[in-house]
Amino acid sequence: MKDKVSLSLPCKADYVTVARMTTSVIANKFNFDIEDIEDLKVAVSEACNNVVIHSNIDDFFNIDFFLNGKTFIIEVEDKGKGFDIQKYEGPDLENPSENGLGIYIIETLMDDVEIKTEKGNGTKIVMSKFLK
Amino acid sequence: MAIAIEKNYKEENDQWNIKLSGEMDINSSDEVKKELQDIIDQNIADIEIDCEELSYIDSTGIGVLIGILKKIKKSDKTIVLTNTKDNIKRLFNITGLDKIFIIE
Repeated sequence: MKDKVSLSLPCKADYVTVARMTTSVIANKFNFDIEDIEDLKVAVSEACNNVVIHSNIDDFFNIDFFLNGKTFIIEVEDKGKGFDIQKYEGPDLENPSENGLGIYIIETLMDDVEIKTEKGNGTKIVMSKFLK
Repeated sequence: MAIAIEKNYKEENDQWNIKLSGEMDINSSDEVKKELQDIIDQNIADIEIDCEELSYIDSTGIGVLIGILKKIKKSDKTIVLTNTKDNIKRLFNITGLDKIFIIE
C-alpha cells in the first residue's frame, strides 16, 4: 500500500500556511535535511499561491503527497481556469517584475516539475524531489 | 498576524530601519507593502531591513520588495537586508536578486 497524504484545502490565502506546515512535517518524516525542507515549503507555497491568485475557483483545491520509489512527489491540483502554458514566459531576471517568479522558483528548487494545464480545464503541478 | 513590522527613521544617515519578524507570504505581504509604501510616502531614503527574525519569504514577499525598490531606485536609494537567514539568502541567490538587493 502506497502511503499517500491528501489535503483538500479551501482556495483562500490563509490555507497556504496549512499546506506549508503540512509539507514541512511530511518532508521531515521522509528524512529530508533542513535545506530541502525549506525548498519544499517554498515550492508548495508557490504552487498554492498560484491557485489562490489565478485559478478563479471559490471552493477547494487538492494537494497529494506520496513517495514513488525514491522520489517524493507533491501534486497540487485545481479545477480552475487553467492557462495557456505555451504563452508562459519565464521571468526576466535582469529586469525583475513584482509578479511571475512562482513557477521559476518551483522549477529551480525541485528536481523535476511537470505542469499540466489547459485554459478552462484546471491546472495540476507535479513536483518531485529525490530522497537522499 | 503572521508578521510584525517595526520601523524607525534615522535622520543622521537618512535611512529607514525596518525589522520584520515572522513570515512574509501571501497573507502578510500586503501588510508589509502598505507599511513600506507609507514610509516612502513620508520620506524616500535607503531602507535597511533587519531580517534576523524573518523566518520565511516567497515570491509574494519578494515581489513587494521589488516593487518598493523600483520606486526608491529612481531617487538612487537602495534596500539592504541584514542578518538574513541562509534559506532566504539562497532564494535571493537562485533568482539572481542578490544582484539588485544588498544582502548581508
